[in-house]
Amino acid sequence: MTPLVDVAFLLLTFFMLTTQFRPQEEVTIVLPSSNSEFKLPESDVMTVNVAKDGRLFLGVDSQILRGRLFGKENELKASVHVEKNQLANYLIQARTMNPKLRTVIKGDKEADYGTVEDVMDILQKTQITRFSLVTDLERSTPQ
Amino acid sequence: MAGGEVTESRTHEKKGKKRKKGRRLGIRNDLTPLVDVAFLLLTFFMFTTTMSRPQTMEINLPPDPNAKVEIAESNLLTLRVNAKGDVFWNYGIESPKRIEGSALRAFLTEKRSTNPKMTALLKIDREGKYEMMVNMIDDFGFARIDRFSIAPLMDNDKALMAKVQS
Repeated sequence: MTPLVDVAFLLLTFFMLTTQFRPQEEVTIVLPSSNSEFKLPESDVMTVNVAKDGRLFLGVDSQILRGRLFGKENELKASVHVEKNQLANYLIQARTMNPKLRTVIKGDKEADYGTVEDVMDILQKTQITRFSLVTDLERSTPQ
Repeated sequence: MAGGEVTESRTHEKKGKKRKKGRRLGIRNDLTPLVDVAFLLLTFFMFTTTMSRPQTMEINLPPDPNAKVEIAESNLLTLRVNAKGDVFWNYGIESPKRIEGSALRAFLTEKRSTNPKMTALLKIDREGKYEMMVNMIDDFGFARIDRFSIAPLMDNDKALMAKVQS
């Protein structure tokens, strides 16, 4: 019995320490799949979410930065709805607060390409020329 | 506590001994509820934790939006995607030809191996889906085309595609 309890508690502490409670998502995004092997970086990530209906949500992974960027009341949200014409402002502000931020676009696979194109234009205008697209790993590889 | 017991056993030797024996035998912790709770929490954390991080595709844009790249027209493979997701390809100023999405990967690999200097230009309809772009870039990656341009799809491109389709 005792070794069992030992192992159970060992695993329990492991999972308790490694788990990160994700703040609730504002929108559900169904990711497109790809065969890319690059992993999403763990920290210093700024996410531009493009919802299915074309709305944009901006999120940063650190709670402190979220508080400074979007105000105290939005601190616990994973991402905040921003208008397209406000996005550039937020991007510049976020990058001046933390220059190490890496930008990723997380688009719903059903989202209009036009919206994503606009977002990429905005990124280029704000001198963010390196960014990543978040995808799921493709299960099967169709030839 | 131990000290107290010692004095007790000295005064009433018989009684103390008896009690001591009884206590030692009686202490047997039932660990089952503890284990239950431990496993419950364990399963909770196991299910809530997200182990796998999502994949990403990296894109580098030219820092200067007006950057001009000179490419021989014969090396420029233009891929146009219309709103329905049909893919059309052409070299230079040839008229576009339609290609099935499933054949695209083999097609790109073949084009790339026959002409290593080839550059791809990707034009996607604004009304198309984001997934189309991801699929196209994924196919580029598969064919090892690591330099490509993305350009907006203009009205004349749409007209070209409509002409081929009809």
